[in-house]
Formats: sequence, structure tokens, C-alpha cells
Amino acid sequence: MSAVVRRNEFAGGTSGFPQAPSTGPLTQTGRCAAGLRRVEYVMGMPILVDVRESLADEAVIDDVFTWLRWVDQTFSTYIDGSEINRIDRGELRLEDAHPVVRGVLERCDELRLETRGYFDARAGGRLDPSGLVKGWSVDRAADILYAAGIRNFAVNAGGDIRLSGRAVPSPHWTVGIQHPRDRARIAAIVRPTDLAVATSGAYARGDHVLNPYTRRPPTDILSVTVVGPKLATADAYATAAFAMGGEAAAHWTARLPRYEAMTILADDTRPLHWRIPE
Amino acid sequence: MRKFITVLLTVLLLALPVADAWATTKAAAKKKVVTRKFSGSVVTVDRWGTLQVTIVVRKTTVTTGTRKKVTRKITSLAVPVYPNHTDRSVFINQNALRTLRAEALTAQSANIDLVSGATDTSDAFVQSLQAAILKAKRT
Repeated sequence: MSAVVRRNEFAGGTSGFPQAPSTGPLTQTGRCAAGLRRVEYVMGMPILVDVRESLADEAVIDDVFTWLRWVDQTFSTYIDGSEINRIDRGELRLEDAHPVVRGVLERCDELRLETRGYFDARAGGRLDPSGLVKGWSVDRAADILYAAGIRNFAVNAGGDIRLSGRAVPSPHWTVGIQHPRDRARIAAIVRPTDLAVATSGAYARGDHVLNPYTRRPPTDILSVTVVGPKLATADAYATAAFAMGGEAAAHWTARLPRYEAMTILADDTRPLHWRIPE
Repeated sequence: MRKFITVLLTVLLLALPVADAWATTKAAAKKKVVTRKFSGSVVTVDRWGTLQVTIVVRKTTVTTGTRKKVTRKITSLAVPVYPNHTDRSVFINQNALRTLRAEALTAQSANIDLVSGATDTSDAFVQSLQAAILKAKRT
């Protein structure tokens, strides 16, 4: 399968949404009969909220970005005074941290056990739960949209996606999985409903995923895409599987309950564990 | 790169029309075409290095009486500076940039709503491109 990758969160798109304002402020918002979309740069990546409902209130989108910025302030490893950095330096005790922070760190521990140590918030030598925080915060953003009565939406946080309903007026969302070797190609297309899609690979930010046992990036694997109900878990699984490398990733992801995966190995073969329900 | 960016790839696919004064008189239309090159800002791509985009813009001014119509069109796009400090990043980024160039210059319509995968280079690309477009609009 091959097609040209189109960064639809940037372009006006096939969806018939209004064009970006040519001299915009810091955010980009568009409205038309079919809904609302906005891109903001948060947590070091562009985050797109695409709501496909005509009656959606823009205030809900504001709430979503307010939430995401709060998460960034609290969890960023780049912000000196963030709770995560203060915990890491021993300035803040875990029991005094925000309950949400404790919840995330507990989930990190669970996932570390579930993934046999391959998802490790301390893999880089310091506390860095960002591998979970991104997906988790997007899941919570989806909850905000859902609570406001919105059923047809997508949130794309730097290539990791949470979807609900359909891409009105189209009958479904179509997600292309970027080929890790060639951005011009789509390795696969998936049409999920009410699901999350997370891709982990060496191509996103250089070799940022390390095998926690060897402290080296895996060499025989290009990317792992995981599809399932929650983005936090899908993302953590994708990261863990990628860290395992090669065949181990393919075998491990094959046994995940409720989560489907596609692994692309360095020799470009694709072990078949891709059973997305139609 | 911790900044909000306004993303304007779409603008590339269009001319940027600016209608000026309105007039009642009808006279012979005068057409003036100027082609200029604009450089975008040099943007750092995490630890990979830096990236810069330049665009060539053809500005067409049609004057009919006192009414002026300005159309701008991007005729070509180049990436003179891109990250290449290791062999690996050269491989990744050359592929990425070739794709982005093609994307920017043609109106594609692969029927895809969203892409799961990487973002890094394209962010910097868009940021630099935006700076170049804004420069072009000021002339």
C-alpha cells in the first residue's frame, strides 16, 4: 500500500474545513458547518483537536487546551519547577504530589510490570513519565469532549491519535500509518472507531527509545503501531514493544488483550498481528 | 521549539489574494509581475541540527483604473539548510524533506484524515516556511 503522506492536521484538508488564517495569532482555529478544529503547540508538539459536530461549543476546545497546558506545566521534564522534576530531585515527596501525578506514576509502575520492564519511566536514568503522560492526557481530553456531548472527534498529539465516532461527513476516520523509512509512504491504513492509534519508532525524535536492559536503542526494528481503547496504554505498549526490538516485539504484541499491533522490522517484513475489527 | 506555531501549509496551495482599493472607473488593465526569493527562519530540529526553507514568490499586480489586485503565488521551494550531523539523520531527513517539498507544491488528496507517526522535521519545516510566507506577504 502506498500513498503520499499528507499532514492533514496542517493542511486545510480533504474535509472542506476553512483555510488557516494567513496572519494568525498563536493558534489556528477553523469553523464551518461540519465542526471545529484547532492546532496548538503544547508539550513540544503540535496537538490537533478536530471536532466534527456543527453544534460544538468552542469553549470546550478551550477547556481541552487549558487541560493540556496544565499537564505540561505539571509533568514537563523541561520545566525546572514541574512536580516531576521536583520529585526527581527529591524536593517533593510522592505523597505530597498532586493526586493526578501519583496516579500517573502508579500507572507507570503497573505498565513496567506488564511490559516486563520494557516500559520504564526511569529508563533514561531520571524520572520521565512523558511516554505515558502524552497518551494519558489525550485520553482525559477525550473525556472532556465526550462529557460535553461531543461524539465525533479526533485528537492527534504529534502522531498519536485518539478517535471517536466518525469524520463527518465521511462515514469513518481514516488513519494512515506513516512508513518509518519513507515519509512519502503510508505503511498501512486503519479505520478505527472509538479507538486510539499510537506509533513508536526511531524516526520520531531520533533514537529516543532505549532498551532498558542494554541501554541501547533497538536496531532490528523500525516501528510499532498499537491500536486499542486507550491511548495511554497503546502508547506505552508501542514504546515497550519497540524497546524489545525485532521478533520479540512482534511476539509480545500478538498476545495483548484488546490491543492490536503492527510491527515493521528493519528488513521491512511485517509480522501479521493486525486484526483491526471492521 | 517550545512555541505555538500557526500552521500555514494550506496557504501555499493558494495564491494569497489581497484586494485593495475599489474604483468605479474602467480603464485598461495594467499587469506587473515581480518574482522574489524569501528565506524562512533557521529552525532547530531538536538535536538533529537546523533547517531552513526558502520560497520563490511571484507577485502579480493588476491595476485597472485605481483598483489594484495583488496575487502571490509560490513557484518553488527549497531547503538549503537541513540537519545532517550524523549519517543516520541524513538518511531520515533527506527522505522527509523530499516528501515535504512534494506536499507543499502540489495539492494532494490521499483520502487520509490523520497520520500516525513522526512530527519532528515537519514542525521545523512548517515554522520556517511560515516565516518565509510572512516575509513575502509584507512586500
